[in-house]
Amino acid sequence: MIRKKFNIWPYLLIAPALLIVTFVVFLPVIEAIFMSFQQYDLRRPDQIAYIGFMNFAEMFSDPVFWQALKNTVIWVVFGVGLQFVFGFLLALLLNQQFKGRGVVRAVSLIPWATPGVLIGLMWKWIYDGSYGVLNDLLMKLGLIDQPIIFLSQTSTAFGSVIVTIIWQGIPFFAIMILAGLQAISTEMYEAADIDGATRLQKLWRITIPSLKNVIFITILLRVIWVANSVDIIHNMTGGGPSYSTQTLSVYIFNKATVLDLGYSSSMALFLMLMLAIVAIPYLRNSFKER
Amino acid sequence: MKKITSLLVLFILSMVLMACTASINSSEGTTTDEDNSNESDSDGEVTLNYWYWADNSEYSQLMQDIITEFNETNDKGITVVGEEYPWDGGGYSDTLFTAAMGGGGPDVAAFKLTATPLFTANNLLVNLDQFINDWEDKDDIEENLYDVMRDASGTDSIYVMPWNTQILYVYYRPSIFEEAGIEVPTTYEEFLKAVEKTTMDTDGDGTTDIYGFGMRGATGGHEPWGSFIYARGGNFEDLSSEEAKQGMQDFVDLYSGGFVPPTATTDGFNEIIANFKSGRTAMTIHHTGSAAEMIETFGEDVSAFPFPGGEGQWTSMGDTNNVIFESTEHKEAAFEWVSYLATGKGQEDWNVATGNVPVSKTVQELDFFQDDDFMRVSIESMPYAGIVPIKDTTTEWINVAWPNTISSALLGDQSVEEAMDSLQKALNEK
Repeated sequence: MIRKKFNIWPYLLIAPALLIVTFVVFLPVIEAIFMSFQQYDLRRPDQIAYIGFMNFAEMFSDPVFWQALKNTVIWVVFGVGLQFVFGFLLALLLNQQFKGRGVVRAVSLIPWATPGVLIGLMWKWIYDGSYGVLNDLLMKLGLIDQPIIFLSQTSTAFGSVIVTIIWQGIPFFAIMILAGLQAISTEMYEAADIDGATRLQKLWRITIPSLKNVIFITILLRVIWVANSVDIIHNMTGGGPSYSTQTLSVYIFNKATVLDLGYSSSMALFLMLMLAIVAIPYLRNSFKER
Repeated sequence: MKKITSLLVLFILSMVLMACTASINSSEGTTTDEDNSNESDSDGEVTLNYWYWADNSEYSQLMQDIITEFNETNDKGITVVGEEYPWDGGGYSDTLFTAAMGGGGPDVAAFKLTATPLFTANNLLVNLDQFINDWEDKDDIEENLYDVMRDASGTDSIYVMPWNTQILYVYYRPSIFEEAGIEVPTTYEEFLKAVEKTTMDTDGDGTTDIYGFGMRGATGGHEPWGSFIYARGGNFEDLSSEEAKQGMQDFVDLYSGGFVPPTATTDGFNEIIANFKSGRTAMTIHHTGSAAEMIETFGEDVSAFPFPGGEGQWTSMGDTNNVIFESTEHKEAAFEWVSYLATGKGQEDWNVATGNVPVSKTVQELDFFQDDDFMRVSIESMPYAGIVPIKDTTTEWINVAWPNTISSALLGDQSVEEAMDSLQKALNEK
């Protein structure tokens, strides 16, 4: 039996990258885990101490946390779900042959290429109850008599910010699915045509199964990004009015910016575990497939 | 294998060479520092690093000009090196804190009072008591300003040197007042009546065209709101008192009565200014920072009055100050610089150019300030101007608790009592 000779060279080459990842990613995560078990509030530096699970106990008895958690679930389910539906439809459309397709493909990317902060500010003014273009449009169409204060009342604020995140995320789904669509062999559709399959049957039997992996990874990525996103809500409503648009990530951000790092770390850890529950089955599955 | 070994040897040699070079540079640097230090001691030359923010490029140049003039005119060999950092919605204070904690902070910095507890809790600031007691211009600054500085630190000592203020007052449109047939209110009750009377349906279509008051329900709205609380005899120390609740009730009544724009629950600075400038509101509350654009928009059809008193009287005082860091080796020189900005030529130059309210009594008396209506109203309001108590809960109260609780109360999701108890707990009982 020939024993394989140990070669240090690959480890040396990979060491710088590993070191950077360790310092930039793993150490801060470990630090955050430690902080979540401490009363780590920089406004009270003399009181920093280990307090066990007290932050988590406070978290579970905090009504704002529960509202933020409920909002996060709604935010992710409706935000990502509708991004997928509209992204899928847009991808199917962009996969068709028509004049000016290149221009339409480029233009449809704009929401994705626009920074979240700018999107937040832009939509804040679109929705504005006094000067917003949306109210103006609806009034000119005769659909409403009085402006709707979209972001200033609890009944419409959260729906309005969800529409914004959907608008932002549609292109990402469209691009990913479009790439998947272009990878499907046309021979499969030709064979289906010979067998007399309808368009709907081709969609269900060929297109969607072929896109399974693309859809899965895209949804997974978006779930993580949308759950963690702060910029749009922060710029549109700051989490208000009356905490109605406050998601967990916005609450974590608000707590961290007032330097309550222990409490915000415990919530961040909770959010990370929630997202891990979503991500781990996929990752296990994809490793198995290899 | 031979190739790998020679590469490794080469790598190690180059690292050793770099280390040696760094060491030489470092020792050269040390020598230079020591030389400078010796030179500094013998010649009395001192260099101060000063951090500040500027709201626009004109103010950046202005600060650099003030620094240049100070450097050229002070006879103590002090050279100030100004470094500008963005205000970044308050992120400046975080940057300053991080730098100071990490040992890379400046000698002196422009500063907001709200950050005081954080910095003093970490022993970063110089106690200015002795410097101020020995200072010949001490009485040129209102005693109440020193009190505000003491309150901010939560001790009997002063850690923050006053520089300039912005005092909130009420902007109003004389033409709308005339149309409504009312005079400038001098009492709180008259003010509430004026808000109602200036709410008008000018075209008779059954909808409100002008709202009496531009209410700010988003972050930052606690400042004008405080005037309502004090006018009923309440205060920030006990927000659950009957008086404070009555002030809050007035605030809610203005919203539910339709005397303020329905978007008030989320209206911030941009919205209240846009509403006033577009003629949608007859009155709003802000400081001299927006006076120039108001005059540009309305010419003579805009004026101001101090927020009227009732059982009590209070208006919010914005502040920009300076602090000296414990880490500086040149505390005396640093005080020379901050006092130049507080009462010297720096005080006049900065406030004349920026339109902020001076803290120096001598500068306040200049014609430039006395002839300006908005500035005069600001100076008139100074005796009862104050700040929200600075506690370790204040930032969170201002940014999170206040806007969310107020919008809940305005929208009827919470009663006035519940809202005020909640605000009291968030500010004073945590």
